[in-house]
Amino acid sequence: MLTIGIESSAHTFGVGIVSKGKVLANEKLMYDVGTRGMIPSKVAETHVKNAKTVIRMALEKAGVDMREIEGVGYTRGPGIGACLQVGQLAAKTIASGLGVRIVPVNHAVAHAEITKHEAGFKDPVTLYVSGGNSQLLKLSKGPERRYQILGETFDIGVGNMLDAFAREIKLKPAWGSTVAKLAAKGHYIPMPYTVKGMDFAFTGLLTYASSLAGKERNEDLCYSIQETSFAMLCEATERALLLTNSDELTVCGGVAQSSRLREMLAGMCKEHGMRFGFAANEFNADNGGMIAYVAERMLNSGVSAALDRCDIEQRYRIDKAVVY
Amino acid sequence: MRKLSEGAEARVYLAKMFGSNVVVKVRHAKAYRIMELDENLRRTRTRREAKAMVRASEAGVRVPELFALGEFSIYMEKVTGSLLKDARQRGRYGEIGRMLAKMHGANVIHGDFTPANIMITPSGPCVIDFGLSEISESAEGKAIDLLLMKRSIGDRDYRTLAEAYGSGYAGSKQIFSRLADIEKRGRYQIRTLM
Ligand SMILES: Nc1ncnc2c1ncn2[C@@H]1O[C@H](COP(=O)(O)OP(=O)(O)O)[C@@H](O)[C@H]1O
Ligand SMILES: [Mg+2]
Repeated sequence: MLTIGIESSAHTFGVGIVSKGKVLANEKLMYDVGTRGMIPSKVAETHVKNAKTVIRMALEKAGVDMREIEGVGYTRGPGIGACLQVGQLAAKTIASGLGVRIVPVNHAVAHAEITKHEAGFKDPVTLYVSGGNSQLLKLSKGPERRYQILGETFDIGVGNMLDAFAREIKLKPAWGSTVAKLAAKGHYIPMPYTVKGMDFAFTGLLTYASSLAGKERNEDLCYSIQETSFAMLCEATERALLLTNSDELTVCGGVAQSSRLREMLAGMCKEHGMRFGFAANEFNADNGGMIAYVAERMLNSGVSAALDRCDIEQRYRIDKAVVY
Repeated sequence: MRKLSEGAEARVYLAKMFGSNVVVKVRHAKAYRIMELDENLRRTRTRREAKAMVRASEAGVRVPELFALGEFSIYMEKVTGSLLKDARQRGRYGEIGRMLAKMHGANVIHGDFTPANIMITPSGPCVIDFGLSEISESAEGKAIDLLLMKRSIGDRDYRTLAEAYGSGYAGSKQIFSRLADIEKRGRYQIRTLM
């Protein structure tokens, strides 16, 4: 069976094609956020323009014909309404045109599941770190499995925090990757560090670092905000692993592309003799491959939705989605 | 020294000093974070933990007696009993609520107020692990103390605890309403600690 997955929750329009758990294509086109941030209607407009192209790119890459597609998945949420609608519409059009089954997918579940699959893990604790989200997750037991949130940010996601700081010092925001570059040449300045059990908060850190902009070297600020925020994530993660008696950790989401964060998590796991895994970067950025992967699993489990029930949900929390 | 536990941030040892049992809590270095940050954290947390223990004790809360303080280590009384999370008998939630009321009355925020950090002794509950404590008036911090416990125990036990807390702490009304706010923010689902 060939399943196509469409992702459009934010600035990426992504299309993936999966067959038997194998990602054959994972193509995308992105709206350039630049330094101005996201204007939902502009992003959605770009997605509309790009949709056909990305679908064609994916089919070509997989070497298949549209008529061979037997299942469709799309991101139901969480995300920006106007953006989600474009993917939803594309997915519904394909499904009704081909007369095949369609299923809505939770974006965060898709990140966690594709990463578990790629790492070859069974029952990991998952640190999900993207722009708007920073959560510690573990799948519940029992017949209806859902991701439980063990800990999460009290305020903003670590990606948005790093990006807000990047803007503050006139860098391009990109999940902290521009901050990371400067950080390589920095020295440590003590900054607020907030962890409560398995939860954490970033605004205090952001406010403090921003207040030093122009007064301290940007390199030092980037180094310190990165080291501090990642150490916070590591500490909460370590606590989650120990509390749940887990011996596997995965990290996923946009910020999971950070080699420094990975290095810290790997070091922490090594100290405890735990296994640490992550997926290729194409799956940490927003992508359609992970949507197709989860959609295929859902369709194989007999789950699908009638076309008129295929909605979107901007605040679709991960712990509301059943995992198959 | 025999190791009692290996926690996320500290190792707890049992030692004999002058013939009596002493618990030594040592915050060990974490190689995954840079040394300056690591040492700062461990030093301030060790000091803060000791200070909170003393404040709580002065407020009439049963905590292990503080014997001595090192840069990264605390020497304290060995408490006999089992953790509330492992305890056979049901916890005495009224007493626990009163203890939290006294702590908050003295502006001691525990920071990790869960059944893993309360020991049930023959003479009643004893609060341990002030490792994430703060001395602060913050309603948010106090509400999170309540919330962490609420998430980890049953509804009935929580009601018992909340009632005792309410009558033991004059500022409790504000804390309950903050707790309701936090829960409304929607980030918190009931999560049971495994
Ligand atoms: N004063 C004490 N008396 C007896 N046991 C203790 C004492 N302090 C800690 N322990 C034991 O050590 C464990 C870990 O101590 P704790 O202070 O909670 O550290 P952690 O920060 O690692 O949770 C506790 O769960 C308890 O079993
Ligand atoms: Mg403890």
